[in-house]
Amino acid sequence: MTQQGETGGAITILLVEDDAPTSWRLQDALVKAGYEVRSAGTLGEARSLLQQSAPQVLLTDLRLPDGHGVELIRETRQRFPETEIMVISALGDEESVISAITVGATGYLLKDAFPTDIATTVRDLVAGHSPISASIARFIVRRTQGAAQGSAEPSSGPMLNTAKLTPREIDILWGIAKGFSYAEIASHLGLSRQTVPGHIKNIYRKLEVHTRSEAVFEAVQQGLIKL
Amino acid sequence: MRGLVAKAHGRRQRLLSRLVPYLLLQALIVVATILGLRLLQPSDPDDFAVSDFSLYEDGATRPVTLPHFSSSRYSLQDPPLYTGAFTAPSGDVGWSVYLPRFSNAVEVAVNGVVVLDSRRDANANRPDRNTPQIAAIPSSLLRDGANEITLRLFVWGPLKGFLDTVYVGPDAALRPAYETRTLLFVTLPVVFSAWQSILAVILAIMWLMRRHEPVYGVLAVAMVLGVVQAFLTAPVPPAASSRLTPVLLASAPLESALIVVFGVLFFGQRWPRYGALVFAPGLIVFVVGLIAGPPLPRILFLVLGIPTVGVCLFLMACITAAAVVRRQDAASFTIGCAVTIVLVCWLHDMLTVSEIVTNERIFVSRLSYSAMLVAIGAGLTWRFARALNQVDSFAGQLVSRVREAEERLKASFAREEERARAAALANERTRLMRDLHDGLGGQLVSIVALSERGHEGATITDAARAALKDLRLVIDSMDDIGGDLMLALGSWRERAAAQLRPHDIALDWHVATPQGLPLHPELRPWHVIQIVRILDEAVTNAVKHAEARHIAVTIETLDDGSGPYGAISVADDGKGFAPTAGASQTARGLRNMRSRAARCGAVLDLTSDGSGTRVRLQLPQVFPDSDAAAG
Repeated sequence: MTQQGETGGAITILLVEDDAPTSWRLQDALVKAGYEVRSAGTLGEARSLLQQSAPQVLLTDLRLPDGHGVELIRETRQRFPETEIMVISALGDEESVISAITVGATGYLLKDAFPTDIATTVRDLVAGHSPISASIARFIVRRTQGAAQGSAEPSSGPMLNTAKLTPREIDILWGIAKGFSYAEIASHLGLSRQTVPGHIKNIYRKLEVHTRSEAVFEAVQQGLIKL
Repeated sequence: MRGLVAKAHGRRQRLLSRLVPYLLLQALIVVATILGLRLLQPSDPDDFAVSDFSLYEDGATRPVTLPHFSSSRYSLQDPPLYTGAFTAPSGDVGWSVYLPRFSNAVEVAVNGVVVLDSRRDANANRPDRNTPQIAAIPSSLLRDGANEITLRLFVWGPLKGFLDTVYVGPDAALRPAYETRTLLFVTLPVVFSAWQSILAVILAIMWLMRRHEPVYGVLAVAMVLGVVQAFLTAPVPPAASSRLTPVLLASAPLESALIVVFGVLFFGQRWPRYGALVFAPGLIVFVVGLIAGPPLPRILFLVLGIPTVGVCLFLMACITAAAVVRRQDAASFTIGCAVTIVLVCWLHDMLTVSEIVTNERIFVSRLSYSAMLVAIGAGLTWRFARALNQVDSFAGQLVSRVREAEERLKASFAREEERARAAALANERTRLMRDLHDGLGGQLVSIVALSERGHEGATITDAARAALKDLRLVIDSMDDIGGDLMLALGSWRERAAAQLRPHDIALDWHVATPQGLPLHPELRPWHVIQIVRILDEAVTNAVKHAEARHIAVTIETLDDGSGPYGAISVADDGKGFAPTAGASQTARGLRNMRSRAARCGAVLDLTSDGSGTRVRLQLPQVFPDSDAAAG
């Protein structure tokens, strides 16, 4: 219940959400936690706000009236590498979260999360701790298995390149998928409990596909595209 | 009874309707054979015939006219001596003496000088061959006018000696007749014997490759005997009797017996009980030939061997006739006709030997035997070709049948697959509908109801959160977790922790065994939903009614000796409740939990007292395949 926490200055947040009640709700929770929030309802509004200044955190929905949140995430990632990006998801399903991660998001926020959780998640993200759910972790580790078995049949869902993940990172993902806490995972794997969130962020970074040409190159490397 | 009689009657009619035409055909063949034998008699140059001789025999001289039979004898001493005369014209044309037929051997002298001694040519002395002889008369021997010709006829019993008309004349006039006879009675038998030896090899190979068909082996042995008989030459009597003599003598009766065996096997007749007796005469001749001295085996051959040949031919004729009636096929017809021809020839030879029919004493049995060989060869080839055709058509039919069956199978497999897919889809849709109806539907309806009655926001919030949670659960359950329930529990832990955090209730998560829960390849989404709903219900009860501060979830794998099974327990430190309490909401919730557990084959165990409530879910070793209790 410590939403003020050890935040230095006020964290600047750009909130992009077209559903007004949801937007109010998130904004209330974040303002109450002492963050500086600007909000936009469309992609266009968000872009014009980004022209003014770069926020520390970008919170964006994916389905927007004038475009897809993924475009905004990619643009922001290229223009402001320092900005932490979170996707707002109704259900936290892998479809939306993973596609956001591959263009540079490092976290997600559930639309119905409790106000305290909303503030905590944003604060943790700024502190370098990316949130991850068991179902997202499960999705990623199953992709690593699929790649290891070299299955020709394309799996459903967004394309994901898991080749850069280390065995340790995959072990961590397994632990999360099975519902173990960070402390339990750390003790199982002989790690310090504090390093686990950093690993998660590394995992997100490794899953990011930086440019279109790189995506094609990696797809060829992975055998996803046959030349 | 009447039916049986009618049946027998019908059979007799059918027998007659088939046998009579066959017998008529055979009669026709008999007539044709007799006519053929008469017509094909080789002609001799009668202008140069010398027929009037004086015979000196047993110390007495008498005039004879050739052809002449002399008495049978067993000694070569003092052979019958025929003396005749011919007139040679002056001139330097080469003259020859030509003997169309004699038995057994002859020595010819012109003007006292020997010009021909057939004893030197072993083949010429065989009584079963009709070997002619020709000898050039040196011109220095010939005198203008009358010349004397003397012949000494050597006879070894039991057959009588025979001397056909002698021809003396210009070589050019005699030679064509000699050539014709040589072709018919010397060359042709050699050709046939060669044919027989080739057939023997082919049949022997057939038998070696198909041991279960002894018919080929029998025929091969018969052929070998025939070849041996044809190419072995009997010694001329003054020489010591040969070991080969019994083989030669026994070959004909044994060969004919083998042919009978062949007939029985070939036409699929049952082998008669005393059938082996047919070999007895041949074996007797053979044994006697081995033991006894020269004249006896030959006598025995005459009285035992030759009749055996006839009997065997007759048996063979009967067998083929029966086969014709039964089978009406080309093979039995051909072989039947050939047997008839050989039988006629054998009768012809018998009549000749017994001098009932007087002709030039030409034996045709051996020659006609070759006719039967032709027939058998043709019959076997026909049968072989037909068998090959059958195999071909059978293989073709098999291939097309297999292809048809394959296509039918493929089609039905595709149909089945389609049906299974449709059924799986329908099942999945039904399940999804039910899951959504069970949770989400009811919760949304209650949200509507609460809003309409102007309820407090908090109540509506709870209902909406419950609806969202259920939606997440349904979506989550659709994911493939590969039979690892721990993956589903991982997501559930997050949701439960989020649910408990506002209430300030701690969730203690304890996995007692390293691997968590055993893997269940048979685990289906609907199992997962039921289990998670049970756990949700336990947690919700703890939050709503128990005023708990801690909830401990323990996951472990147990093994009581009959295989591992999982157990999940949810324990709170709340105030507890009385499980039997009336029709309250709690009681309904409990009933729900029990029925969900039963549908998954799990055992639900609930204990509650003042120190808290403990729900223990014991998972089955194998999850049930069908949602039987769902109906």
